[in-house]
Amino acid sequence: MKTIALYSIKGGVGKTAAAVNLSYLSSLLSPPALICDLDPQGASSYYFRITASKKFNSDKFLKGNKKIYRNIKATDYPNLDMLPSDFSYRNLDIELAEEKKPQKKLKKNLEELSDDYRFIFLDCPPNLTLLSESVFAASDLILVPLIPTTLSMRTFTQLKEFFESNKLDSSKIRPFFSMVEKQKKLHRDILEEFSNTPGFLSQTIPYNSEVEKMGIYRSPLNAVLPNSPASKAYRSLWDEVKAQLELPGENHAG
Amino acid sequence: MLANPKTLSFRLNHTVSLEALTERIVLTGFKLEVVSSSTERREFYDTFEWQAFGKRLVIVKKQKTLFLIDLNTGQQITSVPFSNNSASFFFDALPRSAVREKLSTCSNIRAFSRLCTLDTISCFYRILDDNRKTIATLTSESLCLSEKKSQGAFLHLFALSPLRGYEEETALITEALSTLDEVATVLDFRAQFLLIMRKAEHRVQGYSAKIMLTLNPDAPIHESARQLLQFTCSVMQLNEGGIKKDIDSEFLHDYRVAIRRTRSVMKQLKGVFDSSETTCFLNFFSELGKRTNELRDQDVYLLRKESYFNYLPPFLQPSLNPFFRNIEASRKPLHKQFCHYLSSNNYQSSLKEWEVFIKQEALPEVEQAPNASRSTKEVAVESIKKSWKKVILHGRQISKATTDEELHALRIDCKKLRYLLEFFSSIFPSETITLVIQQLKELQDNLGDFVDFAVQLRFLHEQLATMAEEKLLAASMGGLMTTLFQKQEAARLKFHKTFSSFDHEETSQLFHDLLTDTQT
Repeated sequence: MKTIALYSIKGGVGKTAAAVNLSYLSSLLSPPALICDLDPQGASSYYFRITASKKFNSDKFLKGNKKIYRNIKATDYPNLDMLPSDFSYRNLDIELAEEKKPQKKLKKNLEELSDDYRFIFLDCPPNLTLLSESVFAASDLILVPLIPTTLSMRTFTQLKEFFESNKLDSSKIRPFFSMVEKQKKLHRDILEEFSNTPGFLSQTIPYNSEVEKMGIYRSPLNAVLPNSPASKAYRSLWDEVKAQLELPGENHAG
Repeated sequence: MLANPKTLSFRLNHTVSLEALTERIVLTGFKLEVVSSSTERREFYDTFEWQAFGKRLVIVKKQKTLFLIDLNTGQQITSVPFSNNSASFFFDALPRSAVREKLSTCSNIRAFSRLCTLDTISCFYRILDDNRKTIATLTSESLCLSEKKSQGAFLHLFALSPLRGYEEETALITEALSTLDEVATVLDFRAQFLLIMRKAEHRVQGYSAKIMLTLNPDAPIHESARQLLQFTCSVMQLNEGGIKKDIDSEFLHDYRVAIRRTRSVMKQLKGVFDSSETTCFLNFFSELGKRTNELRDQDVYLLRKESYFNYLPPFLQPSLNPFFRNIEASRKPLHKQFCHYLSSNNYQSSLKEWEVFIKQEALPEVEQAPNASRSTKEVAVESIKKSWKKVILHGRQISKATTDEELHALRIDCKKLRYLLEFFSSIFPSETITLVIQQLKELQDNLGDFVDFAVQLRFLHEQLATMAEEKLLAASMGGLMTTLFQKQEAARLKFHKTFSSFDHEETSQLFHDLLTDTQT
């Protein structure tokens, strides 16, 4: 089992869209997969039309094991399950702080699912908190979507500094450019500047109005419009991510 | 580990009421959406003796693929491409595969015949909540026999599968459905198969040539004998169809065994029937046997085709083909002739008369049939004892030379004893009778081999005389005859050893146990 986090300090960078589409692609190409929505806003849960059952909350999430099992739901796609988020997740940080080893809590809880899934995707809330640290410890790879703008690049620098000062393993971090508009000079310049930076994934995700429409389709874009430019980009991105995890390549299907 | 949600399978009874079912689902507040529907034709196959079923296998052909399905689980075991469209096939008509392998273990001489053709309409639905999120899937399957299409579907099956995490919501649907009268619960694959066969008017495992009578030891022998004769008569009638359609050679074989059993029992149970009435029937059966002798011989040679080829070095094998072609050619008119006879008035009316005769419950006159009223047990013990003693006596008289005639005669004595033991087996303790039959079978196998080889040798020798000019064929036949001769001699040498183990204290004790225990 490999755990992949979609993480960014900044919101609105295409995190959820990437989590939804990559988890869908992995369920097709290297099944089975689980997507955990850690964001109390529940955007990825909304995309999959899933709401957590009334009994589920952050407390149960932290307890792990059977409490988690009971709340995993199948999406409409075979081999892709979801652990939906609950509004109570907004308190996850406070509750985590009360745990003995908060940084390791998430990792421990997810390990219990290692026989059930080949890939677990974490759709993270946009902030840098104790939950984020727990995500960093639990992940094999941290995918960071970046819009090629100055502000976005600044948050990435902040993230690297945080890793350095906290002596975290920054080799897990894989930034990639998202919502790229090639017609904008600034975007082109930044892409150019970082084109050979080690650790950066080479595949970029173009800005595409279809991605925004995912809120209307309430389905992964790769399931509805597999041939749109953004879908093709997600597919290549998934290939690149898989190669990073040193998994043998598999044929395209979605 | 995560547990998978359980699928609920159920069926609708009697009338089609899919509408009632969907209505119930909609009433729960969920929506039902059709995803796809498809039709499929399935053909079911088995041998006349249900040998695949006996091994818990179901053979189904869908389009151009033959599938083997586990009878108990309904799971597909293996499959093979198969485009043959005939109503029956032998295992070796299949390409080399796991299916062929499995079918050969069911039977390597019986044909697999089409039992029925089923047309199925499948529908796949999603059940959606307010968010249009799928909470469960529903598949429906309507089955109808293609030969009885006008009658419509006879079975509607449904499977409701909750998606993970939606068991509670699905339970609401299950609950709503359970109030429908027409809904019956789970129908497993085996029960489904039996239902399909019943609809197609097949009695699963309804045929066996083996005697499975339950006799009353105290009943008059006349009654028990009639029971047996009714059984053998039904075996004959059940096999007529397969003989006519020329499905496989076992139909004729079982038919002939039934004739022999009939004659053997009639002849051995003296004074049970009025001989003035039975003589003409005995002649009829004797005649019937003779009519099929040659046809059966040809069948046996064709069954031996593979082993004959294997007896020979490869370079002599192809030259044997004309020999089998000749047999196939000469078999055709024989088969046609016999089928013609089976359909004739003469045959039909004789058999009808026989049926009437064996159904007559009234005991014959004492003067004509003095033994008719004696108890089954008493006559069984007496006749088996007599027959057994005959085998022992004749066997002991066989000379060192062990001549063909001596062994031929003993083989017939053994067959008579065997038929009696099988006929009366239900009134003896099954363990003892099984052991006795086993001992006898060993001796019979030896004698059977011997006589078979002798007959084959003679036949080949006669064939050779008519085709002296074809040198290679002659050489192949020579090769075969040498092998058969060696095998016959081996069987001859084995005789005295096999017989003395039959004529042994232990077997003797078994017969004593069998025949004395029952008398007391």
